[in-house]
Amino acid sequence: MLGVFICQCGTNISATVDTGAVAAAAAGMRGVAHAESIQYTCSDPGQAAIGAAVREKRLDRIVIAACSPRMHEATFRRALERAGLNPYMMEMVNIREQCSWIHADTGEATMKAVDLVRKAVARIRAHVPLQGGKTAAVRRALVIGGGIAGIRAALDISAAGIPVTLVEKSPSIGGNMARLDKTFPTLDCSSCILTPLMVEIKQHDHIELMTNAEVDDVRGLVGDFQIDIRRRSTCVDEEKCTGCMICQEKCPAPAPDDFNAGLCQSKAISVAFPQAVPLVASLRKQYCRRFNGGKCRLCQKLCPAGAVDYGQEDEVVSRSFGAVVAATGYGHYDWTGSYPTFGKGLYPDVITSAQYERLLSASGPTGGLIRRPSDGAEPRQVAFVSCVGSRDESAGRPQCCSVGCMYTAKQAILTKEHIPDSQSYIFYIDMRAGGKNYEEFVRRAQTRYGAIFIRGRVGRIFPRRGKLVVMGTDTLAGDQVEIEADLVVLAAGLTAAPGAGELARKLNIACDETGFMAEEHPKLRPVEAAAAGVFLAGACQGPKDIPATVAQAGAAAAKVIGLLSRGELETSPMVSAVNPSRCAGCFKCRDVCPFGAIDKDRLADGLVTARVIESLCRGCGICNAACPPGAISLNGYTDKQLLAELVEVLR
Amino acid sequence: MPGKDVKIVGFLCNWCAYAGADMAGMARMEQPAGMRIIRVPCSGRVDPLLVLKAFQEGADGVLVSGCHPGDCHYGSGNYLARRRLELLGRMLPALGIEPERFHYTWVSASEGARWAEIVNTFTEAIKDVDEGS
Amino acid sequence: MSVYSYFPGCSLSSSATEYDKSFRLVAGAFDIGLDELEDWNCCGASPAPHHWGGDLGILLPARNLHIAGAGHDSMVAPCAGCFNRLKYAQHELSHNDELRRRTERALREPVRYQTEVLNLVQLLNREIDPGDLAGRTRGRLSGIALGTYYGCVLVRPPEIVLYDDPNDPVKMEPLLKAAGATIPHFPFKTECCGSYMGLARKEIVLKASRRIIEVALECGVDALVTVCPLCHQNLDLRQQQINDAFGTDYHLPVLYLTQALGLALGFSPEELGIDAHLSLGISHRTSSFDNTKKA
Repeated sequence: MLGVFICQCGTNISATVDTGAVAAAAAGMRGVAHAESIQYTCSDPGQAAIGAAVREKRLDRIVIAACSPRMHEATFRRALERAGLNPYMMEMVNIREQCSWIHADTGEATMKAVDLVRKAVARIRAHVPLQGGKTAAVRRALVIGGGIAGIRAALDISAAGIPVTLVEKSPSIGGNMARLDKTFPTLDCSSCILTPLMVEIKQHDHIELMTNAEVDDVRGLVGDFQIDIRRRSTCVDEEKCTGCMICQEKCPAPAPDDFNAGLCQSKAISVAFPQAVPLVASLRKQYCRRFNGGKCRLCQKLCPAGAVDYGQEDEVVSRSFGAVVAATGYGHYDWTGSYPTFGKGLYPDVITSAQYERLLSASGPTGGLIRRPSDGAEPRQVAFVSCVGSRDESAGRPQCCSVGCMYTAKQAILTKEHIPDSQSYIFYIDMRAGGKNYEEFVRRAQTRYGAIFIRGRVGRIFPRRGKLVVMGTDTLAGDQVEIEADLVVLAAGLTAAPGAGELARKLNIACDETGFMAEEHPKLRPVEAAAAGVFLAGACQGPKDIPATVAQAGAAAAKVIGLLSRGELETSPMVSAVNPSRCAGCFKCRDVCPFGAIDKDRLADGLVTARVIESLCRGCGICNAACPPGAISLNGYTDKQLLAELVEVLR
Repeated sequence: MPGKDVKIVGFLCNWCAYAGADMAGMARMEQPAGMRIIRVPCSGRVDPLLVLKAFQEGADGVLVSGCHPGDCHYGSGNYLARRRLELLGRMLPALGIEPERFHYTWVSASEGARWAEIVNTFTEAIKDVDEGS
Repeated sequence: MSVYSYFPGCSLSSSATEYDKSFRLVAGAFDIGLDELEDWNCCGASPAPHHWGGDLGILLPARNLHIAGAGHDSMVAPCAGCFNRLKYAQHELSHNDELRRRTERALREPVRYQTEVLNLVQLLNREIDPGDLAGRTRGRLSGIALGTYYGCVLVRPPEIVLYDDPNDPVKMEPLLKAAGATIPHFPFKTECCGSYMGLARKEIVLKASRRIIEVALECGVDALVTVCPLCHQNLDLRQQQINDAFGTDYHLPVLYLTQALGLALGFSPEELGIDAHLSLGISHRTSSFDNTKKA
């Protein structure tokens, strides 16, 4: 006996689809004992109505026409379970995302909805009750990325007694936050908040820290991921190095200083920055004389700990994890290509906000004194340009960076604090100060620190008599303005971290059109990625500030703890099964199976047939499509079911 | 309204194309109403016989869509689908079915606009064939 | 020898005859055939068509396209304004069937509008091999820093003119570099010169053009190079007015691209009509160009 429920979803569906008419049509379909239209089927009264109908009419299978199954399939399966039915005896029909929201004509949309319901009714008649199994979950989590998001997630997960491996690509944890001077809206010193957490990571018994390391390969699935981690050779023995930096002092080979955003030079062998965790040196071979045909072995000769080992090779470490948190952060938009009118990087005194942070920071190349790069002079007039590579369709970057307004206001305040007789100008499109105490902070930049806010975009930056002229519009005054500045700071947009796409591919999760990793649902599953057991923390999912990053990292940690705390996971029953009486033993299924889930089975009469190893089967159904006699079929997506759907939608 | 009389069966993989079609809905991108989507776990699940069966049952067009090459949720399902469907497409004329009526393509979970565009152009292409014959 | 239909437009036959003169000399030097359009009319850029409204702004260039299409596959319009109007008409005629029908009613026959329209830089880049040019100019422009000034309508709107980067055009550079010149970074290469505001609001032109000259000098430019007669007028003809208005003392030569190349090829300033330029009249740098002639 079949029950059909047509959801109105408020007016989301009923505005375009005549849900009453669909229910009436459903009532006449074969096997249907009950059909009704409900205002909000997913709500408590909606689910109760399903339960009541199940009891009254002795229904044993249910069709729910509502939103996408990607949204509420799990919700309704639980509802069936509560109503005493097998949760897999439910079929959802997508009449919202794929019907009411994309059609304007009620007649057409209703006709389509009826077609889709008929298809589901036919399909569910072929359903059989399925039972998921249980599998043990590995009690260890992998956190990828050692910025504030990864640090927070690792600490929170390990606080529940679950061991964590934290993998960081660069030589030190700390990420982008370690590069910031102070943080809005409280002007807390960024290092003072962050460095104690970095140290805690290093000292934690349950956290294994791997720096200079990246995920090489990912196999398996939720509960039991087998992951290869490549630890890049740094030519320094981490156990022996004491971080004394003698090697860095004496090394004759210059190399870019990544930590200081390219404002100064470092050495081929160096400690990333003085507060680095772990505090060890690493050698970058591409800049080292010895690795470029030279004879220099200075660092090895001078190292008092004997830690330098030129023969050190990459090491690949394999581990099993029950869950993964991606916390790879963000990258900086390279503006030089898309903004030729800003000088293409030819003017040394046009810098990015990230570089300016380093000029403001006491641990930066100028010791916290603001000195412009061209001549080391202290600037008096500083112009800030917002939204460079953000909210700009012509640069192909329509998205908001979500932090630019705030950090620009912060940098204007800090400029005034560093140089009391300075004047800051901020070109902006809109001031976006939506967070707690943010608007007040921006006001303070204007009133107490005298920053001049100019609403409009900048068209050109060009030199005039040793200064840089920032030419733009003032859209409030309706005039063109020119600001003669000593230093220009561009609030360059935030991009996905370099390599994020590649990592997403390895983890089998999706990225959105801007390159950031995609959550399963913006509201219902904001920290879950497309693959079960993979969670997102911080700016890898989209630009966000530190409070939001920390909050999301905590949420991701809670999800990991929830997943791994019971020690076992439920497995999907949507796996393939072999009908041995039909199997010809050709093993085409084994050839195409991506997971090695097909084994040989010798029957009592000596015949050899295929057998599915259920714990390995992931339910793709590729074998089903490949089997010549139709002996292997995928539970929930059998040939019979798909054919029934086909015939009904074309009726 | 375009596509009124054209009925298309779409086999969409759950992970990419189906999610992309949802995305088009979330962005309220209007599309012809003839598309009937059947959700499958992977484009590799689509047996070519299912496509032929759809034509036999009177479909004006059949569309198969999965993850972009390299992005398959199961690693290699879309590559197998590509091999099978490419061959199928070449066989269709011998069965008296215009090749324009069959299309396989890749749509990611974030490509709502691309999905809407595919439904529109495929519907138009089939209408062109119908008018031409 | 390739032969192009040549549309001089009003400027090259009046206020910018030196542009026409130098273009013909350079074209001759490289065997580029120019066949002037018979009975050509206004390109449609003058204010009149816009003032009267209606289709005149399309009909005028359409007729020129139609005439050129009778005998040639490609036409060249050295004036950037003419180039822009012809491209615009071509774009509109190919995207608007109704407009095309109205145009055909006015012409009383099917309009030939698909003739390839080239601007001067495009034509010279196609016809002149930089290696050949380098060989024939023997570095006569070496040591001279030329500011490439493209103006606005040569590269904008990009979807219509389909030429070069609208914010950072570079197509003049290969030929000038081949002739030995250096091309310094010049951020104002597409900044507005004030355009036709010179008639109604002269102060706007003086302010805009002054800034271009100022930035050019800041960037170490010895002379500006342009392909637009209106830009030339604002930057050269009005340079003394700028000096008068702002108390400056600018003497920045402004050359047409063909004049710069002509000098490099060994033609005299007189042959190229450079003596007609006012900025050179007030310039102390003319001597450097005389030297190039002897080089």
